[in-house]
Amino acid sequence: MPKKAIWLVIIFTLLFVLGINTGDLDYLMNLGNTICLSCIGVG
Amino acid sequence: MGALRRLIQTLVALGTNSYLLFPWASVIYQGPLKAVCHPGLNCYSCPGALLSCPVGAVQNFISGLRYTAPGSMPHLGAMVVGYLGFIGTLVGRLPCGWLCPFGFIQDLIHKIPSPKFNLWVPLRWVKYGVLVVMVILMPFFLLDQYGIGQPWFCKLLCPAGTMLGALPLVILKPQLWTTLGFYFWNKITILSIIVILAVLIARPFCRILCPLGAFYSLFTRMTLVQLEFNEGNCVQCRACVKVCPMGVVPHEQRDSRECIMCLKCLDACHFRALEFGLRRPLPHPREVHNPSIIQGIKNT
Repeated sequence: MPKKAIWLVIIFTLLFVLGINTGDLDYLMNLGNTICLSCIGVG
Repeated sequence: MGALRRLIQTLVALGTNSYLLFPWASVIYQGPLKAVCHPGLNCYSCPGALLSCPVGAVQNFISGLRYTAPGSMPHLGAMVVGYLGFIGTLVGRLPCGWLCPFGFIQDLIHKIPSPKFNLWVPLRWVKYGVLVVMVILMPFFLLDQYGIGQPWFCKLLCPAGTMLGALPLVILKPQLWTTLGFYFWNKITILSIIVILAVLIARPFCRILCPLGAFYSLFTRMTLVQLEFNEGNCVQCRACVKVCPMGVVPHEQRDSRECIMCLKCLDACHFRALEFGLRRPLPHPREVHNPSIIQGIKNT
């Protein structure tokens, strides 16, 4: 595995952990629990 | 390998869309699994969907960046970017070939007997424009009167949202009919074009428009797994080229950004010219040249 890829895996893992600790999970769950009007094409 | 891939595609498509209570309870699933993104394109407004859509999630995070309630931190969407980047770095576009429900639907549509055509190659660059403009720039810069952006890719283009989200919801909730306008009919038109194209061309949406595939493809040159080409075994029969749904020429394009690792080429090759496995490091130049051989050449 190239070194660049190892660094990317580390960076993305840190980003993932940062997201979880800044409340992205709740935000995503609220988002997913409402009907996406944009997806339907309302408006 | 083909049968295994078809089985996995079927299991993933059905398994991640297995909420069956929508006729009686909530019209979409509203449980904790919605905090997890699907690795492929799967509308989270599909009545059966258990997981969130990664492209929709990224757009919603970006669209809310410029509107943050006083005293609260903006949500950067780092979790979703980290999740997608992690997958992309490990396996590149493999989720497109094995896990994406909309890719699977296009594979099935392409089985309809008809004349088949190749795609005009430069069109593959359009998806990078879609990723930058519709998924990143438009949700960030085009704001409504409240200062909130919109998920423009979902709103203007996404045929997966139309097929898996809009159409079932409109059927299940007839009261939505009164709210449908330009955006709905625009998306129905795009979906119809994609479906017709999918009969004639393999995976047109993945090759031309998919921003998720465009994102994963950024990592194809450094993934943990790779499709390796053994030049010595190749007899130039082009059997691999004929079966590739993405129009890749495996013996000319190493680590192609278009390759979704469906491994049809592996099945088609009878000479073991292609291998799928862990990426091996390139040999160091000093290891390639044997000093004794070089010395021998100099002495002659």
